Amino acid sequence: MAGTATPSARRAALQRRAGLQVGRPLLFLGGGLALLVVIGFLTLMFGAINLTASEVWSGLTSDSDVFARNVVWQIRYPRFVDGILVGASLAVAGAMLQGVTRNPLADPTILGITAASGLASATALVINPQIPQWGLAMSCIAGGLGGSLVLFFIAWRGVVSPVRLALSGVALSAFFGAAIVGLMSSSRTFLQTSLGFLAGGLYGSEWTEFHAMLPYVIPGLIAALLFAGRLNVLQLGDDVAAGLGVLTDRTRLAILAVCGVLTAAAVSAAGMVSFVGLVCPHLARFSIGADHRWLIPLSALYGALLVTAADLIARLVIAPSEIPMGIITAGIGAPFLLYLVKYR
Amino acid sequence: MKLTVHDLTLGYDATPVVNGVSLEIDAGEMVAIIGPNGSGKSTLLRGMARLHRPISGQVLLGENDIHRMPSRAVARTLAILPQSPSAGLDLSVRELVWRGRYPHQGVLQRATAKDFDAVEWAMDASDVTRFADRPIGHLSGGERQRAWIALALAQQPQVLLLDEPTSFLDIHHQVEVMHLLRRLNHDGMTVVAVLHDLVLTARFADRVIAMRDGRVQFDGPPHEVFEPRGLEQVFGAPMMVIEDPITGLPVPLPRPAPELCGFAPEREANVASG
Repeated sequence: MAGTATPSARRAALQRRAGLQVGRPLLFLGGGLALLVVIGFLTLMFGAINLTASEVWSGLTSDSDVFARNVVWQIRYPRFVDGILVGASLAVAGAMLQGVTRNPLADPTILGITAASGLASATALVINPQIPQWGLAMSCIAGGLGGSLVLFFIAWRGVVSPVRLALSGVALSAFFGAAIVGLMSSSRTFLQTSLGFLAGGLYGSEWTEFHAMLPYVIPGLIAALLFAGRLNVLQLGDDVAAGLGVLTDRTRLAILAVCGVLTAAAVSAAGMVSFVGLVCPHLARFSIGADHRWLIPLSALYGALLVTAADLIARLVIAPSEIPMGIITAGIGAPFLLYLVKYR
Repeated sequence: MKLTVHDLTLGYDATPVVNGVSLEIDAGEMVAIIGPNGSGKSTLLRGMARLHRPISGQVLLGENDIHRMPSRAVARTLAILPQSPSAGLDLSVRELVWRGRYPHQGVLQRATAKDFDAVEWAMDASDVTRFADRPIGHLSGGERQRAWIALALAQQPQVLLLDEPTSFLDIHHQVEVMHLLRRLNHDGMTVVAVLHDLVLTARFADRVIAMRDGRVQFDGPPHEVFEPRGLEQVFGAPMMVIEDPITGLPVPLPRPAPELCGFAPEREANVASG
């Protein structure tokens, strides 16, 4: 049979055997997108005041029901897309960090990048409590980039070892976290919102958050995709990667910077959401394997799913009041981390 | 393609490990680098593959300094298999070998027919096709080493550098790996390997470079380099050389210390004189 196959059929067979067929990743991407649409519709329906499906539909598509239109377009829909950006950013940052450190426990929270962004955000709010959202986002970016650079240079000694990177991250995370709490406890005005900020959540998130995040998230996600091939090779160890033509330290620095930007963008809108960057890349890896060209987009989708679903739950458990969304992601993420530590 | 090492000094911090080494390795040679632990042989090999930035001197691939060439361009001509590479244990052999196409692929480019052919050839040449879909972590030592060699072959290099490709393998798998390297060399690939096993070196290398204290002590075909006096100088241990009854090639061995091996001194004298 092999002898009679045409070259293109033979190549297709090889392609199938190579595990490079796009079917499985596309299946997960498609299924995830469908689920995201469902979560989106539920997000539009349920909240402090529940709307029926037909009210949501008329709010979405017509001006007849002004109340429904406002709830849908001004409150719930922007909050939903904020959740997508936050989740995608954190999950992609986590996927890249796990790849670049070759450490399955790496994520923006554990490596201190979330805390560095949060410290910058808290500092900006202390200096100017009326700071516009785009300004807050910019200071978060500065903090996130600064945190990544500090992480890189502390971990540097000729070459950057994954172990040193992870240990430095733990120390930085504790340090920045303590600084945030110190800053917040010394400022009276914060006590109201600081709890939500520390746990992470999308309380009151609107279009301004979306517009402030977008200029960082879109380039960040594109950069992540462009680094996918290099991440695939870095997995094999520094010497092998260098032998294959990757400039390992320069690439690691660039990847950390992208992670800093993505994490900071998420923190600017949602505070210090934890565990999204840890859990989602693992779920994506369970789904489709370790090829970063698929792992990065699928992590982004899983991150969006986790954050939007967690936000929906957070708004519903004690409706009409709500709990910080980060409590839900931590409630899922912390046991998952323990599972990884014990069994992987 | 010719590989030229010119007055190369390599080291960690300021302490030189390789000290002013000059070498020329012509296209199609099969070269072994030997020497005691800490003699700088691995460092020299890594320096030849631009994994180590020189303190002074240069390495030329063809006409070009490898540190001035784009790193991916070097990787399309020269492949290195570092010592006992780890990690990536969740990958199948096939996924591992595909990573070897990295220097040939553009950032957003899809795999081409050339990529498929190169991967297929690399897996066939190193005889890993049978277990191509098994995870690397589940392979035996010999299979795993061949899978890593297949990764290097997928680069389609003209020069292949290997750092101790046979360590931790049993004798059967050692010979298997050396046969593979010999075949690749026969088909025109330049092969340079750091080897610990002197018997395998004598059997398979056309040229032996013996290093000591960061310098090249001897450089020549096995029958020239493998004579007792020279080996004793290199390794600082009493050596003897017997003749392989089948190939006539030298077989270097440590000279027995009679009081520790339970040999009578007169038998030792017989071997040395015979």
